[in-house]
Amino acid sequence: MSVRTIAEDLSFTATRDPGRAAVIFGDRVLSYGELDRLAAGFASGLRELGVGRGDRVVTVLPNGIEAAIAFQGTLRAGAALSPLSPTIKRDRLRYVLDDVDPAALVCDPERAEMAESAEALAAPSVPVVAAVEELAAVVGPTPPPPLETDLAAVMYTSGSTGEPKGVMLTYRNLSFVTGSIAEYLEMGPADRVLCVLQLSFGYGLCQLLTCVRVGATLVLEDGFAFPGRIVQLLEDHRITGLPAVPTIFQVLVALRGLGNRELPDLRFLTNAGASLPEATVAAVRRTFPCAQLYLMYGLTECIRVSYLPPDRLDAPTSSGIPIPGTDAWVAGAGGHEAEVGEVGELMVRGPHVMHGYWRDPERTAERLRPGRWPWEPTLATGDLFFRDEEELLHWVGRTDDLIKCRGEKVYPREVEEVLHAVEGVREAAVVGVPDRLLGQAVHAHVAPEHGIELDPGTLRRECAERLEAHKVPGRISIHDDLPRTARGKVDRRMLIAPGEGSPVEPQRPRSARLKSGSWPNSRRTLRRIRA
Amino acid sequence: MTGANGDIRKDMRAYIQENFLYLEPEVELEDADDFLALGVVDSLGFVELVEEIQSRFGMVVEDVEITEENFGSIDKIAGFVERKRTSR
Repeated sequence: MSVRTIAEDLSFTATRDPGRAAVIFGDRVLSYGELDRLAAGFASGLRELGVGRGDRVVTVLPNGIEAAIAFQGTLRAGAALSPLSPTIKRDRLRYVLDDVDPAALVCDPERAEMAESAEALAAPSVPVVAAVEELAAVVGPTPPPPLETDLAAVMYTSGSTGEPKGVMLTYRNLSFVTGSIAEYLEMGPADRVLCVLQLSFGYGLCQLLTCVRVGATLVLEDGFAFPGRIVQLLEDHRITGLPAVPTIFQVLVALRGLGNRELPDLRFLTNAGASLPEATVAAVRRTFPCAQLYLMYGLTECIRVSYLPPDRLDAPTSSGIPIPGTDAWVAGAGGHEAEVGEVGELMVRGPHVMHGYWRDPERTAERLRPGRWPWEPTLATGDLFFRDEEELLHWVGRTDDLIKCRGEKVYPREVEEVLHAVEGVREAAVVGVPDRLLGQAVHAHVAPEHGIELDPGTLRRECAERLEAHKVPGRISIHDDLPRTARGKVDRRMLIAPGEGSPVEPQRPRSARLKSGSWPNSRRTLRRIRA
Repeated sequence: MTGANGDIRKDMRAYIQENFLYLEPEVELEDADDFLALGVVDSLGFVELVEEIQSRFGMVVEDVEITEENFGSIDKIAGFVERKRTSR
């Protein structure tokens, strides 16, 4: 007697519907029958390399057929997947290899040289597999399926501070969250999902797992560079679901002619990674009038926390309700559940909550805390929320982002919303910078719409009209673009402590207009997620 | 039209150099260089580039036209602008 996990989803669908398209990449279509055979071969090949339950398999693969085979094959082998970004550099790969001590390192031929040089520098000796389809041709006994409690993934996340940490997720964690997401998105075998997000990110990995769970078709694209290509794929493959991040939505709504296309098959759009500004929500609904928009919130530590049901888009700044089968609540003063409107850290419980950070009990203890119930730890998200009268959750900011100015609390999000509402503002980020008199001073960074000139004085007056005095930014800097992390989120650390030659040096004029790309590394590290 | 086409290349090279590569003045962009492979322009960048081309050359670019074939390099942009002009 066993429960079906993500390790068995593929063979389950392949048995019932072997001819159905599982993965499409470029001109290549892989049916469920073929993917099942290749994943089983890959699993046998891993077994020959000595990979078994609990062993980690590190992958450095761009989106494509090889990634689908390697991911599904690793799960079939009952091992743990540790997917890394295809843009990872040698030193960072070496760090992960030393940390996660894998039994195999899988990459594509293009990355073989980099992978081998990282492997040579790392302490553990790891077999490098640079020919996924060759390994998938192995014929041998299929390993037994994993237990629900076996390790399914170690997902590396850089977080906002410090060294990358490996989030440990079991087969139960991932199987549960896959089912929960497929349920609220009402996914079925007729769905065709276009995934331009890297499968190595939690949000991307979910697309593969949910499609295979329900027998849907996953159309893969390696990144999002030329918007015309994406529009073509939406039409050619009659895509029913498009998962995206704010940057992608912002590009799509800026395209000429897209709003006039019917796209009658496009049934749902999802946003995660960062919150979608209210104006973009409205633009997305105008551009895709037939599709339901799901605004979602999650973190690698449990993959997904909440979603806003599309019929609640009247509250577009809300993060919605906990995903099916889970609970999330705001911890107020003293750790008890907060009152309506009271801001506190969001706590999460459910079968999706991670089992800690790989070999890092200290940081695990910061996130997995003894909670309201004696039999389980609670996941502390590090994000500040409040709950409204209608039980909807609202994100306020990171606990680390909270600004204390003149001894009073300032939530950056509140100030950012006021700035966003000013005409011509495309993006705004508010941070606290050390100040001798105030403790922290409120500093706003704003990027205008293309071709618009913004005046810091006007912005400041708008803030003063709508916000209490201590919340009004003492300083406002205008930039062409805000700096971003490798994952496409605004890089607040860079705004607080910019590197040498950065635009926030005090001797520069307050209204200095700065060109995009002037943030060290920002454009280049972004290529994969934004490009 | 060869002369005009040469101007398109020169204009676009200057525009890209100034707007996307000004932090890397040592990079000499060649007309055949692949924007994406070099990491010169990302998806938001292509939207900016398209806006510039629309206003500079007085033409309308449709969503499906923003592809690698049309915008992947300076050569490709020049070819695209020429084709648009002659098809009008």
